Amino acid sequence: MALIDVVDMKKSFGDIEVLKQITFQVEKNEVVAVIGPSGSGKSTMLRSLAHLEEIEGGTIRIDGEALVADGVYASTPEIRKIGRRIGMVFQHFNLFPHLTVKQNLALAPKLVKGEAKEKLASRITELLSKVGLADKVDAYPANLSGGQKQRVAIARALMMEPEILLFDEPTSALDPELTGEVLEVMKKLAEENMTMIVVTHEMSFAKDVATKALFMADGQIVEEGIPAVMLTNPTQNRTKAFLARTLG
Amino acid sequence: MSPDYLLSILKPMLEGAKATILLFVIAIVASIPLGFLLTLAVNSKFKPLSWLANTYIYLMRGTPLLLQLLFFVFGLPLIPVIGEYLVMDRFAAAALAFVLNYAAYFAEIFRGGLLSIDKGQYEAAQVLGLNKWQTTTRIVIPQMIRIALPALANESVTLVKDTALLYAVAVPELLHFAQTAVNRDFTIVPFVMAGLIYLLITAVLTLVFKWLERRFHYV
Repeated sequence: MALIDVVDMKKSFGDIEVLKQITFQVEKNEVVAVIGPSGSGKSTMLRSLAHLEEIEGGTIRIDGEALVADGVYASTPEIRKIGRRIGMVFQHFNLFPHLTVKQNLALAPKLVKGEAKEKLASRITELLSKVGLADKVDAYPANLSGGQKQRVAIARALMMEPEILLFDEPTSALDPELTGEVLEVMKKLAEENMTMIVVTHEMSFAKDVATKALFMADGQIVEEGIPAVMLTNPTQNRTKAFLARTLG
Repeated sequence: MSPDYLLSILKPMLEGAKATILLFVIAIVASIPLGFLLTLAVNSKFKPLSWLANTYIYLMRGTPLLLQLLFFVFGLPLIPVIGEYLVMDRFAAAALAFVLNYAAYFAEIFRGGLLSIDKGQYEAAQVLGLNKWQTTTRIVIPQMIRIALPALANESVTLVKDTALLYAVAVPELLHFAQTAVNRDFTIVPFVMAGLIYLLITAVLTLVFKWLERRFHYV
């Protein structure tokens, strides 16, 4: 059984259909890169998995448990339970500016899981070293660079020990010279077999790290395949046109 | 002007300043939480509640505080049938008017603070599993206070000076004793002293808010 199973996902904003019957599966340990022009529905699709958007039709199952079945959402406690298995990293980091790095990391596990201080402290140290920011433990987000903020955001998501990590254009808000450090961390996670869905414009990341690529346009998945193959030899004209534009 | 004279008028004026400060403290302590509740009511998805809170804020901000004071102190007891149950100590009635009035202003300040919190903050809290209460108390309120502090400080200074309106409903406070001394002794010195005492109070208040702003500073 697929870890993420999406069938006929549908969503509109007013008259505009942003997601038209999207169907796809993600297996455990897969790293899926979602590419496509802006306005194609990539972010909405991702946000729907994290229940930041509600879909109007279709089914989303996480490890067999239905978040939505045929357009009908599960109960609130059920949704929260499923949500605990999913972490998310945002384009604009969304760190809590009034809290230090350590407090940003500790808040959710403390409040939601009631984790003990000692366990938290060792996990914070471990995760901050993993993202290369052990020395920033007491810094406030305002004193970090964009790349550092995003690495803290990744560590914060990992604190909740999610089984699936969603990335919504994690490097799009960064200066070009800062994207590398974030992609490096994501690559490390992929090597540790974290299941990830990454909406991205970084074609090299898609090619080198992802195990599967989805190309979306106009609210549909136009093409799906092994990244190295799809990015070099796309079968669909829309994919070809998009890649020709982005790869230049 | 002998020091003895100054001391002799200072004593009742400090007595009056006590009433001024007491009213200020009551008004601040009660109207800030009430104002926040009003903000939540305004933002409520339950439309009648939101409409009611908006109407309340409109009434309170749209009419003079002096009118409201007179209404609460002298007007309420005149209401037919229930009026006789609404007779309060003048100071208490005045304090109530201040609390209800200032809550409306604070509600608007907090609403502005809430508007400036990025929607990504709520989203991050949600995907991390925080519930509504945790999000409000741990994420929203601390950021809202930080944004609202300068406006709160400004409004508080206004409140200190507005306490002088007690004069109009014959509750003895700082200005009342100054005026009495001026009438009695034909000198403007009591006015100057009253001014200095108000300045002293607002100076202390400004320092307190400066300290709070430093404490909540995180950028």
